[in-house]
Amino acid sequence: MKESVRIIGGPLLLVASLIVARILIPTKMNFITEISIFTIYVMGCNLLYGYLGMVSFGQPFYLSVGAYAAAIYLAYLGHNPLVSILAGVVMGLVIGLIFGPFFVRLRGDYFALVNAAICAIGLFVFEKLLLPITRGDDGLWYRARMSAIPLLDIRQPANFFFFVMIVFAIVLILFRYMDQSVLGVSFRAVKVNERKMRFLGYSAFKIKWIGFILASMLSGLAGALYAVNFGFVNPHLGTPHRSAEVLVATLIGGAGTVYGPFFGSFAFIGIRDVVSRYITRWEFCVGVLTLIVLFKFGKGIWGNIDLLIREKFKKKSEMARDGNVSCSVNRKGDQ
Amino acid sequence: MDMEMLLRAVVFGVSTSGILFLVSLGISIGFGLMRIVNMEQMIYYTFGAYICYTLVTFTGSFWLGLVCGVILAAFLGFLVERLLLRRVYGQELMFTMVVTFSVFLIGIGIIQFVWGLAPKPVASPTEILVDIFDVSMPLYRLIIIGIAALVYILIQLLLNKTIIGRALRAGIEDPDKVQGLGINIYKIITFTFVVASGLAGLGGVLNGPLIMVGPYMGFDMLLYAFVTVILGGLGSIKGTLVSAIILGQVISVGGTIWAPFSYLAPFVVMFFVILIKPTGLFGVVGKAFGFEE
Repeated sequence: MKESVRIIGGPLLLVASLIVARILIPTKMNFITEISIFTIYVMGCNLLYGYLGMVSFGQPFYLSVGAYAAAIYLAYLGHNPLVSILAGVVMGLVIGLIFGPFFVRLRGDYFALVNAAICAIGLFVFEKLLLPITRGDDGLWYRARMSAIPLLDIRQPANFFFFVMIVFAIVLILFRYMDQSVLGVSFRAVKVNERKMRFLGYSAFKIKWIGFILASMLSGLAGALYAVNFGFVNPHLGTPHRSAEVLVATLIGGAGTVYGPFFGSFAFIGIRDVVSRYITRWEFCVGVLTLIVLFKFGKGIWGNIDLLIREKFKKKSEMARDGNVSCSVNRKGDQ
Repeated sequence: MDMEMLLRAVVFGVSTSGILFLVSLGISIGFGLMRIVNMEQMIYYTFGAYICYTLVTFTGSFWLGLVCGVILAAFLGFLVERLLLRRVYGQELMFTMVVTFSVFLIGIGIIQFVWGLAPKPVASPTEILVDIFDVSMPLYRLIIIGIAALVYILIQLLLNKTIIGRALRAGIEDPDKVQGLGINIYKIITFTFVVASGLAGLGGVLNGPLIMVGPYMGFDMLLYAFVTVILGGLGSIKGTLVSAIILGQVISVGGTIWAPFSYLAPFVVMFFVILIKPTGLFGVVGKAFGFEE
């Protein structure tokens, strides 16, 4: 009982504070919506980099797959935005199922570069090969085709905000649950020592595949939300040039943590909005920021906050436990 | 397709191979020796091309631009290696990849700041057409092939005949043992890095007149260079040469058959090779599989 409260409590607190922030500063509503969507996207990257230890330079591809699944549904097949978002997630699942077995077998650097290559292919497919369907660089426009859904008309930005908040809360709770479950622990175990995991009888391949599918589903969901939010999609959502953004946001927030992606995307989009007022192209800032975070704050924003909280609670628990087990083990090893 | 077009496509393909070979050699050797993936190698490529552009604009001499571009690109590589990359040797592979990638982004930012966003044209040094079997070819393409072949021969001589090259090859096999023999591996690494970035700069200078020189030219080339390296197998010089030759033909002849092929085909070829042989053509067996070491 207490455990379930802990799992649900944190994400709900975060989402509630976002809603409070939206009421206090009404002008920043779009900003909060964008951060929330971007956070879901970053969570996918965090799952790969922070939990499984695999860098992918092709995340924009999975984002644009989700976005195009939603956009093509809305532009040609139907009118229901909810179904379009579902289409984005399902497309992410399908892509993860198809590509996963080939990709996750590869070693880390090959994995990253093969993803970059698929991102380039994806851009080409969306821009040139599917030209009659996606209309190339002009992009797809379908805002007028979206119909109202019962209870919440998400065509209005104010309503869409609440819709995103609901989705965001669900995703965060699921992610938090995953973090504590056997699956989350085995993700981390694969990152630390894959061979030992295999020795213990787990299939590292299956664990990585599941992680890859979850990551592509999260990216697909984020892409579909983007598509519904903007009402238009063009191939430049998925250019390989933008593959660094999501990695940087992951690193800033703190890789391998539950709330890290939120703080990462908050900081990243905030900095981007401020910087892009002065410099139109901000690759330079992204690069410098990454280097600073990598060399000076390896744990990221949430990683450091988490450390502070833990240290505060540790003193109490240490007194309660009386004998520190890990210390005694270490001492034994030293002798 | 007639013979004339085919012959022209093949020669164009060989010149593309030459450039691919020049730019991806550094990544390949760098991986073998330092165990880091040099994502920032392409910044020397872009930088060399821009230096050449500047000198061609001001002095009108392409060959002066070539020499200066290569030397300055090598010097930039020296600075980056000494100031930054030295700190990341021996770190996790993913960590070094993100570091070098951000160096690459910083480089793009600086180039945009100095030279602006608009792509710049570089005048070709010769406009002469040469007749081969009654097919007229631009002399410049043949010059590229000649320079690439010369570089390959020089690299082979360096690796096989000089002591520093032998130390380098031994370093690719086992860096620790080389250090145990009393050779300063860090000097070898710096030397390799300077040579590699000079070669990337040379590739950029030579490619400048063929394409427009723009801040993102490195990004486009990065993908091709990595396809070359992956196809050949990371850490293998012979593999890099073979895969560069294959890819050049695939791009050029494939593009003659169906235009979008020139962009798409390298990736498709890479996918098939990776699926069948995940180490690339000449890679070390078993290393590319995370599970089967």
